[in-house]
Amino acid sequence: MDLYGKMAATQDAKGKGEGGDQNFDYMFKLLIIGNSSVGKTSFLFRYADDAFTSAFVSTVGIDFKVKTVYKNDKRIKLQIWDTAGQERYRTITTAYYRGAMGFILMYDITNEESFGAVQDWSTQIKTYSWDNAQVVLAGNKCDMEEERVVSVDNGRLLAEQLGFEFFETSAKDNVNVKQTFERLVDLICDKMSESLDSDPAVTTGAPTAKLTDSAPPLQQPGCNC
Amino acid sequence: MGQTSSKPSSSPFQNSQLFFKNPSNDQHTPPRPSIFSPLRPPVAKPSNFIPLFNDCISAASSRTQEYLLFKDPEDKFYPSPEVLTQVFLMTYISQSISLNITDSFNCTAMTPEQRILLGADWVWAVLQKPTKNPQIQIAVLVLHLHDKEEAEDDGMPPNASSESVQIAQKESSNKSMYERMVDFCSSIGKDCYALFLFLGKKSDKGNIYGVLSNNFEAAIGKCDQIDRAFIENFFKGSKYLYTPSGMMQAIVAKKEGDSLTLMIKFS
Repeated sequence: MDLYGKMAATQDAKGKGEGGDQNFDYMFKLLIIGNSSVGKTSFLFRYADDAFTSAFVSTVGIDFKVKTVYKNDKRIKLQIWDTAGQERYRTITTAYYRGAMGFILMYDITNEESFGAVQDWSTQIKTYSWDNAQVVLAGNKCDMEEERVVSVDNGRLLAEQLGFEFFETSAKDNVNVKQTFERLVDLICDKMSESLDSDPAVTTGAPTAKLTDSAPPLQQPGCNC
Repeated sequence: MGQTSSKPSSSPFQNSQLFFKNPSNDQHTPPRPSIFSPLRPPVAKPSNFIPLFNDCISAASSRTQEYLLFKDPEDKFYPSPEVLTQVFLMTYISQSISLNITDSFNCTAMTPEQRILLGADWVWAVLQKPTKNPQIQIAVLVLHLHDKEEAEDDGMPPNASSESVQIAQKESSNKSMYERMVDFCSSIGKDCYALFLFLGKKSDKGNIYGVLSNNFEAAIGKCDQIDRAFIENFFKGSKYLYTPSGMMQAIVAKKEGDSLTLMIKFS
């Protein structure tokens, strides 16, 4: 059984198991990665709590939040892991790549170094995750247009080269935050449906409705700031 | 374990009064600020946070001791262990802000989820300038004299009921809080220390002690498990207890890659 097969099997979790709210159809594990201070924690806080603070508090090791979203009447529980970007935590953070179905790889449009590190982060995903993990590249802090050093085109081009989806985002102004997560969930659902189509035996309880029955809305990848 | 046995030399940082001495007698001290300078707390420099750290610890320890020694005459009421941890941490944080040391030495309280995943209640860090990236870290797990030890072993904080906390527990199964903190520190390297902070010991219920090491992982494989008994055992062989500033001085002075294990009295 491949990972998506196992994921589909989480449908049986409804009302069962120990601890936590088991009332969901699917559980997706997502990771936010990227250099230190690109805004990963702020991005997660905006999405999960609709909150933002400009005070920078460096994440120690790893943390996570849980958020439930609905797609085609299916409850999808997102475990969103917020990783520390500093090198000293790399051993801890990469341990959590295992089993992740999706990544938001983030850089800061005002920080060239963080953009230059995207390739290395992509390699980390390939090394420590599995082949079918879905990735969205996010150029954060697009509210800081005057300090921009990475163009939208360069961001999009790199995403295409790496085979990733792309958004420019702002946790501060709440630009494309929800859309980034929604797109990542769509990509995972697409992949999961492909997997189930190719091998229906992977799960004993096949989904009654495909998660991709309705096409995802078109997204605007550029920043609307 | 790389345990030190020698008594450290007297540190110039151990007496916080030295930090405020009259600079006119010291050629290496910057000129005295004008009397017209605005009144504000002393600005901490990279190496001079130690006496201020000591002051913060003194305040936190004193405040915690007030509650640690509390005795209800009817023996019905006593503060929960969690409250004692919170009193210590709140007092420390408040004091560190008022003394303005957080730019060079900060304190990050863990979220309930991090506490389970990493095994620490909070993490102190000596910060590099200007990046503010941690240069040295001390992960702290508080151990209490009374009850809750089983809960701590299970990684279950007293008010652990939220869904995310339970997910964190699943991720961290099979390891105690002690082991998780040691794993966390060893995964970072020798510049990350694990500090087990005892709010009262069986032999001295009213004082605060600690065992600090960047080498606890050496015990893994040599003993059955890292638990309270294992950590308390360090005190049996120790002749010297460091002060908080002595501890910090030893950490800062340590050569890169060396092991360091200390017993400390915080109160």
